[in-house]
Amino acid sequence: MSVQYPLVEASASAPLAQRLTRGDQVVKFIRTKPLGAAGAAVILAMMFVAAFAGTLARYDPYQGDYSLQFARPSTEHWLGTDEFGRDLLTRIMYGARIALFVGFTASFTGCTLGALLGVLSAYWGGTVDLLLERLMDILLAFPQLILALAIASILGPAIQNVVVAIAIPIVPRVARVVRATALSVKEHQYVEAVQALGAQRKRVVFQHIVPNVMTPYIIMLTAQFGGAILAEAALSYLGLGTADPTPSWGLMLSGSAPLYAEKAPWMAVFPGVAISLGVFGFNLFGDSLRDALDPKLRRG
Amino acid sequence: MRVYLAKRILLIVPTLLGVASLVFVIMRVIPGDVALLILGGDSGQIDRAQLAAMHHRLGLDQPLVVQFGTWLWAALHFDFGASLWTGRPVVEELLVRLPLSLELAILATIVAVVLAIPFGMLAAMRQDSWLDYVIRVISIGGLAIPSFWAGILVILFLVINFGWGPPLEFTPPWVDPWANFQQMVWPVVTVGYRYAAVTTRMTRSTLLEVMREDYIRTAWAKGLAERVIVIRHALKNAMLPVITLIGTEFAFLIGGLVVTETVFTLNGVGRFVVDAVAHRDYPVVQALVFVIAFGFVIVNLLIDLTYAWFDPRIRYR
Amino acid sequence: MAAGFRHHPRLFTAAVLALLVAWALMATPAAVQAAETPRRGGILLAAIAAEPPSLDPHQESTFANIQLVAPFYSTLLQFDPYNFPKIIGDVATEWKVAPDGRTYTFKIRQGIRFHDGSPLTAADVKASYDKIVAPPDGVRSIRKTAYSVIERIETPDSATVVFKLRSVSASLLANLASPWNVIYPKKYLDKDPNYFRSNVVGSGPFKFKSYVHGSTLEGERNPDYFVKDRPYLDGFKFFISTETSVRAAAIRSGRAYIEFRDFPLAEVEAIKKQLGDKVVVQETPVTASWNITINNRLKPFSDIRVRKALSLAIDRYTMSRVLYPINGLKLLGIALRPGSEWAMSAAELEKLPGFGRDADRSRAEAKRLLAEAGFPNGFKVVLKNRNIRLPYLDFAVFVIQEWRKIGIEVEHRPLETAAWFADGQDTGNFELMVTPPVRFMDDPDLWVNMFVTGDTENWGRMSDPRLDDLFKRQTQTLDPVERKKLVNEMERIVVDNAYLIPGLWWTRNMVHWAKVKNYVAPPNYYSNQKLQDVWLAED
Repeated sequence: MSVQYPLVEASASAPLAQRLTRGDQVVKFIRTKPLGAAGAAVILAMMFVAAFAGTLARYDPYQGDYSLQFARPSTEHWLGTDEFGRDLLTRIMYGARIALFVGFTASFTGCTLGALLGVLSAYWGGTVDLLLERLMDILLAFPQLILALAIASILGPAIQNVVVAIAIPIVPRVARVVRATALSVKEHQYVEAVQALGAQRKRVVFQHIVPNVMTPYIIMLTAQFGGAILAEAALSYLGLGTADPTPSWGLMLSGSAPLYAEKAPWMAVFPGVAISLGVFGFNLFGDSLRDALDPKLRRG
Repeated sequence: MRVYLAKRILLIVPTLLGVASLVFVIMRVIPGDVALLILGGDSGQIDRAQLAAMHHRLGLDQPLVVQFGTWLWAALHFDFGASLWTGRPVVEELLVRLPLSLELAILATIVAVVLAIPFGMLAAMRQDSWLDYVIRVISIGGLAIPSFWAGILVILFLVINFGWGPPLEFTPPWVDPWANFQQMVWPVVTVGYRYAAVTTRMTRSTLLEVMREDYIRTAWAKGLAERVIVIRHALKNAMLPVITLIGTEFAFLIGGLVVTETVFTLNGVGRFVVDAVAHRDYPVVQALVFVIAFGFVIVNLLIDLTYAWFDPRIRYR
Repeated sequence: MAAGFRHHPRLFTAAVLALLVAWALMATPAAVQAAETPRRGGILLAAIAAEPPSLDPHQESTFANIQLVAPFYSTLLQFDPYNFPKIIGDVATEWKVAPDGRTYTFKIRQGIRFHDGSPLTAADVKASYDKIVAPPDGVRSIRKTAYSVIERIETPDSATVVFKLRSVSASLLANLASPWNVIYPKKYLDKDPNYFRSNVVGSGPFKFKSYVHGSTLEGERNPDYFVKDRPYLDGFKFFISTETSVRAAAIRSGRAYIEFRDFPLAEVEAIKKQLGDKVVVQETPVTASWNITINNRLKPFSDIRVRKALSLAIDRYTMSRVLYPINGLKLLGIALRPGSEWAMSAAELEKLPGFGRDADRSRAEAKRLLAEAGFPNGFKVVLKNRNIRLPYLDFAVFVIQEWRKIGIEVEHRPLETAAWFADGQDTGNFELMVTPPVRFMDDPDLWVNMFVTGDTENWGRMSDPRLDDLFKRQTQTLDPVERKKLVNEMERIVVDNAYLIPGLWWTRNMVHWAKVKNYVAPPNYYSNQKLQDVWLAED
């Protein structure tokens, strides 16, 4: 699949556009893309909670009240308690940190590495391109979850290893898309003309290829974020993700959902809602961002 | 065209070789000894001599290169050896589980295609309208909601309120369609929802792009009805990336539905592979990854050929 | 009618009496119904929690194996299904032990036939046991070391088997009652000792019907079973189902009538709430405990003060209260199962370090010991575990929280079984590790061997000559009173030196539909799986 992203070109016939202030741009975004704005709001809320979990939370996420195991939601514990009497709301707040950390680090690492490889591969061409393309194909052909599983098994369970395990399958997927974009840039006559005029290689790359690659890069970044959070949940379900007592949403979901869903449904429902909201937010925002950045998709 | 075809087919070889090597290396790097696992069981006593004998019997004491070479040579003859864990031929183990995975994949694909294309079209044709928003939100729901969580909650709901639980064994649809339906309906819905979601989004975005093309604008200008434009002109070109997506997702479905199969206790290929990884059952993992990769590569080849057929520029790259 | 009664007082009294008797009969508890006659017929549907690598019990130690194949086979001796751990015969009708304790003679019942029609004789018993005691090349016998005391097996005639031992053994009879030691027909073993990994030919109450890997196993009634009038069932169908919630759903929807292993308390409550009297829950203690193994060779754990501090910091009484509703860990004990004939009493236990009732005092003592050992502010450590949720992970989470209170920061590292084995058993690459001894019976030989220097189960790599000596003595002490004293002494030494941190013993909750009759859950999930006396009150 190769989605062609159009080049950003100056056009002599375009009217002089007004320079919008940052504030105006944000307002415009909210007005024209309400879904995206909602997504952004969710993301910001998540970041806020993650940053200030320490002050916002009423309880210690690790120490439970042993006399209140499986307590229903109440004024004391807004979302109830879990099997050890730990406050669920507190753990969900702290869990935002892990979700953001895993989501961001995994998708950022994977996408950046993938984008780099894609650009390099497209730009240098020849044997480098051939080799890199083969490598990416091999990684792509490998079933994603199995790859993540195997890597997690090798490295052992620790949050940084989970990040690596999730990031690696992302690399070839991003590389493929970025390479296609970079290739189309490279082949555009405009770039050839600039090179013919003697512009340095580095300049060509940075001034022309990179800006055009930014769009798919950013889009994949936001798209993979949600996927990374879900992958962590799936790995936890299979026993290879983060470990209790770490408050990770994926872990809470995989452990509690099946076992205590009837005895203490709040344990199964709220972490799932948190994950769904988070992934929802990132996807909504990413979608609208793409719609906004991609001139071809703009209304017109 | 022929040159292109030959080149593409030739490129499959290093890819498959690479996958085979990668899975081999990865599995050996993972700490853990299948022999120890077999002897250890739940919590048994390990006899050193028995451990050594088992290593020898399983061929694990030979140099790695020899082990790889032996396996690869046999694999090229479709002899994938025997499972280290059960001792039965890998092919036999695979064939027991394949029908279920295939049925799940096919049904989920049908659900996805039947839902995604019409909804994707609608969303594109009515971009930024309420209909578009609703479709987009529901689609993202399919991506955002962890499927195993949803599956567990669905089953629990049914158990609590109707006292109904899914059947515990697989009956092929030609033997007992009702039993088959009962077992497959919820996994198909869960997987199909996600699959449909991804495909809907892809359909929508490619259709939007295509509709901005100049030749479509010409058709508008000519006064053709919207439906005619979309179906007869735009859809054809928009379909290529969508078909690619369906193809790659299908290849993924055969071995990738690990969590779904675990949650719904389906005796399928995905769970089998994961169990094999946990058991360090090298022949099984190697064989399955190889087969899945093979399928993936073939599907990709067919898709690329389709592209090349339609777009002459690609052939002459 | 009331008017009529006034005129006939005797009739009135008789009527009242009759009513009273009828009411009394209806209110009689179910105990009276024990005199029910078993109903013949029906297929027992059961959910099994795992699939074994093979069908040969000699070679496996997972419950999944024995639960699947036990109905097909017979053993020499067995644990009385209704009176664990009493030993009764299965294929053996009587036995004698020579005065020197080194010769055991068994008489085999006449007329037993294998499912293929051939008769079961002493030769088959000998061949099966030879395979267990001295397996040929390429065949594994997973419990071989327990039988190393057997020197040779003789068959003076077709109905007698004689075991000659190298030395006196207090555990031999119990080992011979092991449900794993099934009797195979010799002629198949001669052809291929691994034949029974994928084939079934036994002499048990049920015959093999079909096996779909990863899915189902079926058996049908053996009409020629040597116990008259058994089995009652027409057959059984086992479903392999690895997800606890799916097994629970199967019981709740009636797709399975019984689950042989265990459900967490939360599931049990849910099932009971939905089905009420239609299900029966049997709670039994299990021959399984969860402990923390310390790597005694590694600093700082080679320092006894550090080890003792780790054990003292754990409030076991609170742990039992908190963990029982979560994962079934309940009873306090050390190396022998609390409630068995070998365990120390609760009073004796309370006097030992780590088992005191005053948790605050123990904790203060732990902090003091740590400071003395050079760690006034605690230290960081990695606790390795197996990545199975119940009961491994929650046990570790509780303990980690207890250690946090004395300043020890723990990184919890659950490993896949393969890696857990490699690190624990094979290389000893760990600081602290969760380990669960799980056995099929209470005999001390199976439990205190892990304290012996160099034993393969001594994951903690401890070495104390007193323990080695005591072990040798207890394994040859036939008098149970004397033996108990020796074994308890071993436990005391272990706890005083904190070579191992004892955790809790497991209690399981087995659930089945009330229509499944005559199944008594033993305190382990290996024995009593033959199902010969089980019957279904209705289909």
